[in-house]
Amino acid sequence: MKKKLLATMLSASMIMTMAAGSVSLAAENTEDPQLEKTIKILSIWAEDNDNGVLIKSICDQYKEINPNFNYEYELVSADNLKQKVATLAASNDLPDIFVYEAGKPIVELIEADKIVDVGAELKTLGIEDNLNPSAVALLKNLSGTDTIYDLPLGHNVEGFWYNKALFEEAGVEVPNTWDEFEDVLKTLSDKGIQPLAAGGSDKWGVTRLINAYAVRTMGADALSKADQGEASYTDEGYVAAAQKIQDWATAGYFGEGVTTVDMNTAGTMLMSGDAAIFYNGSWFTSNLNNESENLAGADGIGFFNVPVVDETISPADEYSMNCGNILCFSKDKYDEASSYFLKYFVENIGNEAMEKQGSLKGYTYDVSDDSVSGYTKVVLDEIGKAQSAFTWWEATMNSETSTVAQENVQTLLNGDMTALEYMESIQDAHDMSAL
Amino acid sequence: MKNVLANKKAIALFVVPALVLYTAIVALPVVWSLYYSLYSGSPGLKWEFCGLDNYKMLFNDKNFKAALIVNVKYIAVVMFGQVGLGLLLALMFKFWLKKFKTIVRTLVFFPVVLPTVAVGQLFAKIYEIQPNYGLLNSLLDGIGLKSLVQPWIGQASTALGSLCVMDIWVAMGFYSVIFYGALLDISEDVVEAARIDGAHGFSLFRYVLAPLLRPVIITSLVFSFSGTVKMFESALALTNGGPGNATKSLSMYMYNVSFSYSKVGYGSVIAIVIFLICVIGATIIGKFDKKD
Repeated sequence: MKKKLLATMLSASMIMTMAAGSVSLAAENTEDPQLEKTIKILSIWAEDNDNGVLIKSICDQYKEINPNFNYEYELVSADNLKQKVATLAASNDLPDIFVYEAGKPIVELIEADKIVDVGAELKTLGIEDNLNPSAVALLKNLSGTDTIYDLPLGHNVEGFWYNKALFEEAGVEVPNTWDEFEDVLKTLSDKGIQPLAAGGSDKWGVTRLINAYAVRTMGADALSKADQGEASYTDEGYVAAAQKIQDWATAGYFGEGVTTVDMNTAGTMLMSGDAAIFYNGSWFTSNLNNESENLAGADGIGFFNVPVVDETISPADEYSMNCGNILCFSKDKYDEASSYFLKYFVENIGNEAMEKQGSLKGYTYDVSDDSVSGYTKVVLDEIGKAQSAFTWWEATMNSETSTVAQENVQTLLNGDMTALEYMESIQDAHDMSAL
Repeated sequence: MKNVLANKKAIALFVVPALVLYTAIVALPVVWSLYYSLYSGSPGLKWEFCGLDNYKMLFNDKNFKAALIVNVKYIAVVMFGQVGLGLLLALMFKFWLKKFKTIVRTLVFFPVVLPTVAVGQLFAKIYEIQPNYGLLNSLLDGIGLKSLVQPWIGQASTALGSLCVMDIWVAMGFYSVIFYGALLDISEDVVEAARIDGAHGFSLFRYVLAPLLRPVIITSLVFSFSGTVKMFESALALTNGGPGNATKSLSMYMYNVSFSYSKVGYGSVIAIVIFLICVIGATIIGKFDKKD
């Protein structure tokens, strides 16, 4: 009798597992069954801004295909995003779809089993090819997993934007090697031109510079090695990178009071000819494309990748890239209806982004990109040149280490902290966060 | 009245609602924090009992010590600045200003009603150095003190001072109004008598006005202390705790630890420390009151 009961229970559980499995199979190559569903979306962009426009437009388009579909759009400021998601995750109330941050933050959600294995879902739905392979590789790399748990909402390349007129005035060329770069900075400075603008008050604009030198001298895996304990943040190479930026600050390359300048102001300084070079990502094109904002004009600003120190360590076709903020799907809210929406989203966002904004979001697109502006074209060309990628300074750091790395960079710039002390503070925070 | 107060039920009727409310919104969260402080992680995500580990961590935490020092310096400067300058202004209104008294009082009180974020933005512009000099640096530059032009809120040595100046400017008007009210309450006869006895200027203040103003001074100090110990929004608006952690207070650090680092347990320990500072500070100020 007992055996019979056990057999019944086992077969019942098998049927249930199969039924559950069939949920993810449901959307495969079938007509949309117009299932009823209201999806909650948590975003950091207003519906008329940036990615918010695209998300809204995809939702509205999908609503035409499936009239039973509805969505609620909730906005949270980027600063409060992590806190909001942490609170919602704690109360098991994550929205169906939410914008989040790649790198360490998402790892915590993966470990807590809160989000959908998007990679597996895409495979089941047969739409893996709609994602750009380098974006997928980047996302996998950032979460340290074999599959992706998120969708990209950007495909950005970072590097140095420079003011062509100022380069001409100083008689300097775009540098390819780091030594040439240093010469350019010195020449600009000697000619009375502020060589660099940086958003010291936003902090990340400066840590990116340390990252650039660290990666070029130690390789793309330098930061992940330090995070995993294979190297220490206080090792010579990391300290040298911090020292480099401090030396620039001491030499006055950033101008006065760099820690009070935000990224917007720094960008404006580049465009208005107050500074010659500015490190930022390809999203800066939205400012460059704005005629009233960009005083340098439609062809006044150029782009160059981080100059190379040693080709064998980090080659010239290696770029700092990222996928911007990412999109996650809450595991306990994910059902068949969501899978149809996911399918529609992935199949259409690439074209939508190219048509509406002339931007890459990490998806394939089959509309023409001829009509895009000159600056967007520059970015598309650079992304085309990229053979490999490295991430940003804080990508492998947890929020505690990342906060310290960003906050103390201001102290480093001011000279209140030595390069070694700066790297020690990061190592301390890293050790402390493990407690 | 006596009958009413002798009736325990009547007392309960008056006290219980307030007591319940107070317990629910003040006492309970404190106890809750105590309970949280014994756990590591964030509720719902890796929430584990860890005993007194969080308390041990406090002693080795450099950032906590830095935040504590910033907070203590801020309290010392801003509390005495607000109350001291408030008192001076009130004395000025009463004894020195003859004309335009109302206009000056209104102007001095005006910053009190401004939102903190707006004040932060205003002072960020005043202290600005790049891309253009702000008011302060322009003035210094204009009067030939070019060597003093500096990133006031961009360097550790001047950031906290600049923040203190802003917060003193904001609140001194509030205290001046309180003190002015108290000064008006002091009978003219008393001041007149003191003058006949030979008290003038500082001696009049030291031996006659100050003792009479004492209860108000103590109250103002308690107000200012409780306002400064929770130092948060003004620092957030002006410097965001920077540069480095030169203006990061305990409450800002607690916020970071709890919500950015997902260490609600350790954040609770810091909250308890802030609570203890409040209790100790208020007790010390209270001691001056009971002397006589």
